[in-house]
Amino acid sequence: MSDNHTKETFFTKYIWSIDHKVIGIQYGITALLWLLVGFGLMMVMRYQLAYPDTQIPFIGWIFGEDKLLLPEKYNSLGAMHGTIMIFLGVVPLAFGAFGNYLVPLQIGAIDMAFPRLNAASYWTYFLGSIIMVVGFFVPGGAANSGWTSYPPLADVATAGQTVWLLGMVMLITSSLLGSVNIMVTVIQLRAEGMTWFRLPIFVWTQFITAFLLLLAFPPLEAAGILQLMDRLAGTSFFLPTGLVVSGEVLTNAGGGSPLLWQHLFWFLAHPEVYVLILPAFGIISEIIANNTRKPLSGYKSLVYAMTFLGFMSFVVWAHHMYLTGMGTTMGAFFQTTTMIISIPSVVILTALLLSLWGGSIRFNTPMLFALAFLPMFGIGGLTGLPLGLAAADIHLHDTYYVIGHFHYVVAPGTLFALFAGVYFWFPKVTGKSLNESLGKLHFYFSFIFMNGVFMPMFIQGLAGVSRRLADGGQAYAHAADVIYLNEIMSWSAWLLGMAQLFFIANVVLTLFKARTGEINPWNATTIDWTETSSPPLGHGNFEKIPVVYRGPYEYSVPGSKIDFTPQTEKG
Amino acid sequence: MNKLLSSITLSFIVTGGLIAGEITGVVKYIGKPPKAKRLRMDADPVCAASHQEAAKAETFIVDAKGNLANVIVYLKGVKYSGKTPTQPVELDQAGCVYSPHVMGVMAGQPVKILNSDATMHNIHGLPKVNREFNFGMPKTLKEKTISFDKSEDVFVVKCDVHPWMKSFTQVFDHPYFAVTGTDGKFSIPNVPDGTYEAIAWQERFGSKRTLSQQVTVKGGSATLNFNFERPKKK
Repeated sequence: MSDNHTKETFFTKYIWSIDHKVIGIQYGITALLWLLVGFGLMMVMRYQLAYPDTQIPFIGWIFGEDKLLLPEKYNSLGAMHGTIMIFLGVVPLAFGAFGNYLVPLQIGAIDMAFPRLNAASYWTYFLGSIIMVVGFFVPGGAANSGWTSYPPLADVATAGQTVWLLGMVMLITSSLLGSVNIMVTVIQLRAEGMTWFRLPIFVWTQFITAFLLLLAFPPLEAAGILQLMDRLAGTSFFLPTGLVVSGEVLTNAGGGSPLLWQHLFWFLAHPEVYVLILPAFGIISEIIANNTRKPLSGYKSLVYAMTFLGFMSFVVWAHHMYLTGMGTTMGAFFQTTTMIISIPSVVILTALLLSLWGGSIRFNTPMLFALAFLPMFGIGGLTGLPLGLAAADIHLHDTYYVIGHFHYVVAPGTLFALFAGVYFWFPKVTGKSLNESLGKLHFYFSFIFMNGVFMPMFIQGLAGVSRRLADGGQAYAHAADVIYLNEIMSWSAWLLGMAQLFFIANVVLTLFKARTGEINPWNATTIDWTETSSPPLGHGNFEKIPVVYRGPYEYSVPGSKIDFTPQTEKG
Repeated sequence: MNKLLSSITLSFIVTGGLIAGEITGVVKYIGKPPKAKRLRMDADPVCAASHQEAAKAETFIVDAKGNLANVIVYLKGVKYSGKTPTQPVELDQAGCVYSPHVMGVMAGQPVKILNSDATMHNIHGLPKVNREFNFGMPKTLKEKTISFDKSEDVFVVKCDVHPWMKSFTQVFDHPYFAVTGTDGKFSIPNVPDGTYEAIAWQERFGSKRTLSQQVTVKGGSATLNFNFERPKKK
């Protein structure tokens, strides 16, 4: 059962593996490295924002003889920071790594439904990510039209944009392969007794995320190919008639609509927000239930709210586009849907907060990250409400307020959840527990500096400072009163970078330690912890396919001798 | 301008050789000149503050005697096998205008772009034959050197930050060109003996209404004058 393959070589075991666990680890390592790269780009940008037009220290030579981050290069870093963080970092980590590794283990499956498709998904992602950064080396540098790639600008931008589009097509293809796999796996391969309402919330979130990926990404893939055609084949899908570029009318422009791109893009990119946050909810739910030693409050409410969230995420996209001159009827529709989608988010957050009530909470590193996630995501979500209303959005659109808002959702939100997940499941994956002291240092410093980076953005944004200014706003009189914040944010960012050294050191040092042999260090209830060793058995996962008798969060069951009752325990 | 001419002269001293003469002359404008438009630089306080009197557009600079400035005069279809000057031609961004407003440069010759202003410029050249260039020059970046690979007819160089900033550049594969000064005079030195077709280009008249005439250089000097005339109303 544990190994149904013929001879395994190093290559088939670690590189071209079809084992979901190896692929999950491949996704995890690759995504964490890209997160580091994306974060590095941002640290350079923050230097330019704090000290505009001065030479970049230490690594200035990368930017040429003058060692300056010129505006056009700043634009490239901005576009690539967004792209790398979201498409190369967070989604592959949240969905590719966590989803791949844990979903089969948590539902009692021996692997994903399509193991080879799974490997193809990873390698398509890997190739796409390499193509993405090749852009830095083409004439004119990497894509510089923002991570949203709005035409007509993106249509006429330098060659880096073509590379970006090619990379994007690969990345979306990879997501599609992954999403189909998760869906079929969850539907078909659940162990006996694993009914829908016995699924851990984490599996639910991955399942819903898979639907979002499957339905939202193809429009952007199509749009990406259309934009490629505009750039390479002389079509004009997104170029309006009579478009003047650098004083001359573009000959191939005519009949296209730049707004069409915005619709196609945001039809992907708004569900994308939930692709980023749903797996985070899943991870946080597991960790909160485990560390409060009590069942989650409102399991079914969570499932219904997340499903509703998934559906609603497809009808809010145009709240990113109030400034495009849409009519009031359309505006009213999207404002209403946006207000409605905040309800399930509040339900989820409330259920998680209520789950803390009366629990005997263990304040370990994963739990600290999970606890911090709740208010951080709260700030991110609540600051989004004014942006969902056209009247407020007109003032706040494209300001630092928006940057602050979505970073609170994704950085101290999703990223904290992912860190929580790494600390929580590291013993499962490696058989070795990460050091708690280093973990707590990592958490506290990250928490402080994360807020140091993003909180001031709300103040700058309310003052009207635009995003995408290579000089941090120094050319504008209205920014003068709040420009001092740039230095505070930049120092916070660099210190946040330093704080990650605790994490890196922790991982490296722990990997050199001997395995503890402890299978279930957190005393968890779900199959991934109870039915296989840590690290799990080779390809096949289980000695014997488990049978499930109860729900996923049976902690502190009255009358039970121990405070956790595994899902596989008869009763 | 003087630097340009001296660089050309220098290059000839270096290349030496053939019997050569100098083509000199004046370009005039016949008719009532249009009034120069005032440049509104209020958008950038640094630009506005750099001019005590309002700056005026340089599209048509003609003095009371009709002497026309910023005209490129050059010989067409000349073969040149000498060296390319290594002395750079300078294009300055000063007071949020380009100086010179019109210039010629040889292919391969360095062009030093200066930013003398305490503000950011984004210099954007729109050649068709050579590679387009487009880069920001923040106030701390004072100079950057570029060059053009191939000869090309006149093209626009503009600033993407300050829409009024515009200048013109022509790239030659020989050194036989000059741009008229405010007195309308020009001088093309070291021209080998022979008969040539000379062209005069002015911004307002554009590439479709250049003037052309034959000039013969023999053992010394030759004179060449051009007269741009105000187009008659139909």
